[in-house]
Amino acid sequence: MSKTISEARIIEDPEELDEEELEGEADPESAPVETPEGADWNTVERAFLTRRSIRKFKRKQVPAHLIHRMLEVARFAPSQGNCQPYKFAVIRDPKLLVEMEEYCVDQCKQLTAAVNYTTYKKGSFGYYKARVMARLFNAIDPNMLHPVPVTAMTSIAHGKFMVFHRAPTVILILMDKHGIGVPEVDIGIVGTNIVMAAESHRLGTCWIGFSKLLNKSKEWRERLGITDRFEVSEAIAVGYPVGKPWQNLIERPTHEIAWFEDGEKQILG
Amino acid sequence: MSMLKRLLFGDFPAWDDPQACQFRRVQIDLDACDGCKLCVTICPAGVLELYGQKGHKKVRVLDGVRGCVSCNNCHAICENQAIKAVEHFAMSGYYRSEGLGEFQPPRTSLPGPV
Ligand SMILES: Cc1cc2nc3c(=O)[nH]c(=O)nc-3n(C[C@H](O)[C@H](O)[C@H](O)COP(=O)(O)O)c2cc1C
Ligand code: SF4
Ligand code: SF4
Repeated sequence: MSKTISEARIIEDPEELDEEELEGEADPESAPVETPEGADWNTVERAFLTRRSIRKFKRKQVPAHLIHRMLEVARFAPSQGNCQPYKFAVIRDPKLLVEMEEYCVDQCKQLTAAVNYTTYKKGSFGYYKARVMARLFNAIDPNMLHPVPVTAMTSIAHGKFMVFHRAPTVILILMDKHGIGVPEVDIGIVGTNIVMAAESHRLGTCWIGFSKLLNKSKEWRERLGITDRFEVSEAIAVGYPVGKPWQNLIERPTHEIAWFEDGEKQILG
Repeated sequence: MSMLKRLLFGDFPAWDDPQACQFRRVQIDLDACDGCKLCVTICPAGVLELYGQKGHKKVRVLDGVRGCVSCNNCHAICENQAIKAVEHFAMSGYYRSEGLGEFQPPRTSLPGPV
């Protein structure tokens, strides 16, 4: 082993740090921000709290350089082993967006007809056929057939909901299936970077899970240049929101927190 | 659970059973609502509509339409704070949620034990 490599491998032991560094009081510039309990939300926290999914956009296009800024922020997201298992496709061509919408709506129609037995007359042949199909799909991939996405898919099939919400820009996040560990997690993180960067410009975004429908089409894979190694994992619709969706803080359910301290366990909520 | 086990014994709620798939209704303050229609426009579930005479319109939940996901986007956008979701949807069987508590606004103090 060469000398330089063995030197580079020396990992500094925390014991060798200054006692002052460990106490964290030495350098005023690296002192933590003091936030007393009950203090109002700061700018960063507030951005997270007031971010909503936007599904009604103004017609105005988002300047290209802002989309580029968001994708630059994306490049610095954490990922497992720093493998960065993604690339992007930015769709801003109105004709292409309409065609993408039409294709996904058609897929929703076919899927609704195949599995959503509630759209058939109770007791009819179609009803039972769809029930059997739903059961099969449920067994294969139960999370996809949760009643919420099924309701949304059915609304899309009936023209009451949209896939890309007529956003002027859609960013497809293409996942490298050969990524480290669980690449889907990295997709969630990189997408959050994009969404929060957008939020800082008062842009509205919506995650579009239904964009996955594009994967099924050989034609769309070719048009978008998606090779076998990649798949459309998620998409993020971007545009200027209608109204002021950030104006009120909202309520949501609490989540159980198991808290271990002083040899005790408490459940907080 | 394995795929076969799910196929045979998976306890999946029937989508058209209002007991097994409970979608909640939002609370509306009719005095505060000025019928601006913003919430109707942005509601992802399309469960809201306006009713009443021109100039005195109010919002309501569409009769027989289910699917409110309690996202509170309607509350976020309402200039009069006239509408809000106070309960999460509740599914039975496989999709029953666990570990979720009551609705709360963002809190800046430590929560107490439950
Ligand atoms: C991975 C992911 C996929 C989503 N897919 C869709 C979608 O296809 N269509 C849609 O309208 N909303 C989609 N959403 C948005 C969720 O419905 C939304 O985040 C949720 O209702 C909470 O509301 P909020 O984002 O306004 O806080 C998706 C969200 C995530 C995280
Ligand atoms: S946004 Fe508020 S004021 Fe406007 S219609 Fe909805 S509830 Fe009424
Ligand atoms: S909570 Fe969400 S889904 Fe329910 S009515 Fe309000 S905007 Fe619509």
